[in-house]
Amino acid sequence: MVENTSSLDVTAARPLAQERLRAAWVRHLVSYLYVAPALIAIVLFVYVPLARTVQLSFYQGNLLNPTRTAVGLDNYTDLLTDPIFHETLLNSGLYLVFALIGSVAVPVSLALLTLQLTDREIDFYQSALFLPTVIAFNVVVLIWAFFFLPTTNGLFNQILALFGEPPNAWLKNPRLALPSIALIANWKVMGFHFLLAIAGLKAIPKETLEAAYVDGAHGWALIRRIVLPLFAPTGLFLVITTLIGAMDAVFTPIRVMTEGGPNNATSNLMYAIYSEGFRFFRVGQASTLSVILIVVFGSLIYAQYRLLDRRVSYDR
Amino acid sequence: MTARLTRGVWASRLALLAAAAIILTPLIFLLGISFKPPQAIFKDVLMPIPLQPTLDNYRVVLETVPIVRYLWNSVVFALGVSLGQIALAVPAAFSFSYYQFPLKNLLLGLVLLSLMVPFVVTYVPNYLLLAQVRLINTVPGLILPMLGVSLGFGIFLLRQHFLSFQREIIDASMVDGANSWQTLTRVVAPANTSAITALFIYIFINTWNQFIWPLLIGGGRVDSYTLTVGVHIYFTSPEGGNWWGSIMAASMLTALPTLLIYLLMRKGILRTFTEGAVKG
Repeated sequence: MVENTSSLDVTAARPLAQERLRAAWVRHLVSYLYVAPALIAIVLFVYVPLARTVQLSFYQGNLLNPTRTAVGLDNYTDLLTDPIFHETLLNSGLYLVFALIGSVAVPVSLALLTLQLTDREIDFYQSALFLPTVIAFNVVVLIWAFFFLPTTNGLFNQILALFGEPPNAWLKNPRLALPSIALIANWKVMGFHFLLAIAGLKAIPKETLEAAYVDGAHGWALIRRIVLPLFAPTGLFLVITTLIGAMDAVFTPIRVMTEGGPNNATSNLMYAIYSEGFRFFRVGQASTLSVILIVVFGSLIYAQYRLLDRRVSYDR
Repeated sequence: MTARLTRGVWASRLALLAAAAIILTPLIFLLGISFKPPQAIFKDVLMPIPLQPTLDNYRVVLETVPIVRYLWNSVVFALGVSLGQIALAVPAAFSFSYYQFPLKNLLLGLVLLSLMVPFVVTYVPNYLLLAQVRLINTVPGLILPMLGVSLGFGIFLLRQHFLSFQREIIDASMVDGANSWQTLTRVVAPANTSAITALFIYIFINTWNQFIWPLLIGGGRVDSYTLTVGVHIYFTSPEGGNWWGSIMAASMLTALPTLLIYLLMRKGILRTFTEGAVKG
């Protein structure tokens, strides 16, 4: 076609090409106009703040005061040698262990149990367990504050009293505070991960399960040999989601109930950023912790891509 | 069915019922205590059901807390973020799904990578930015940064839906003389109403339930409290401290809107949250 036009009229070819180029640019301009507002919002409120965080981590200053002093790497060296920071990291790890149990092992086990149930029953359990996800977390945390009251009036202490045990201080007890906060966070996340686990199980073809059943695989053997290998991608996804989400899930209960205490026993990396920035107004320290958080998350996400890549190549 | 298998089914049912009971118990207490007379709350702590139900706690909240103001702020905040994100995400997703243009993959990558940045990391710089333009303790200040944070999810979700929409219909519409904006607003958007509505509800619920962000940006002045912030301030205030009944009533009022949306549109919400997690 193009050859035809050029052979017919050589002189017309040049303006035509220019016209096409212009049409292409107009079309591109339209594409850019559609994405520009969204990109501006993302750059302005995510990437510029991200760059500013990195920059501020080399300064010290007050959040409410524009004067700042450059301190080089001081914030980093101070932080890495600070025992409170070490404790904060250790707490983040402990929360993660609780989350791997309460937000992965428990919901996946419960989802496996639904294999024997009808769709209507599954729908009921999904809907019921999901309820904590749709309600504002800081509001339901208050009912947990009532349960954990350190006085004899608290619900948990009343239960202890039924067994003749003395009341416990719970959130004011340095040993029990972190597990208590973890319990609340897992209570919220569990139903959501149960929903995701069911979605993963439903993706396994029914014929595969029936064929295995006919071939004599029952109960635990069926689950271990057939279901779990096919469920592995969803399981891996839940683990990664939990690695990243565990930090965020405890943020609100820490803020409302313990503010990191007693004695830093319940603080984690995310809460420490908040606390440095908005309780002590130390911009530099908050930004340094932010950079460390990004490095931690970045490596987790990178590891996820590597793991998923390998899975894909196994499949093919 | 063999007797052994039947026993297995009942064991599964029992375990799931126990899990449901554990998850629902705090919510039942929340609802129950909000209707208990103050003097009954500590009398039978283990009893969640109010034996002499009363609306007193709700009356106290409505009389002592400017709850209508908070409700209004929450509505403006949640609607502003969800409508704003939809307005930004729909054209962007349209462009990313139907057009080829230089740097497209790089820009799409930038959109998706923004989802990996935790919100908390942007708190300090966004606070400083809002302070510069004097938007601290205002509702627009709450809304603006949230238009960029998590916007990538909406773009990604809608792009998936647009891509599965037949290309021929778009091309036909263009041939019929519609320009691309008309094609978007008269053909693509109406055909994807359910996906856009689902995204809208997802963002609305998530924004309504925000707490730390509105506490930081709007927590300095009563006029900019959202419901979540207002309930928290009421809980920590000396007059709120021990009135568990009215605290639970205020909590119920905050929870009610999203709870109602969930009960009405349960199926669609469960699907969107699943998609959101798996694809986002």
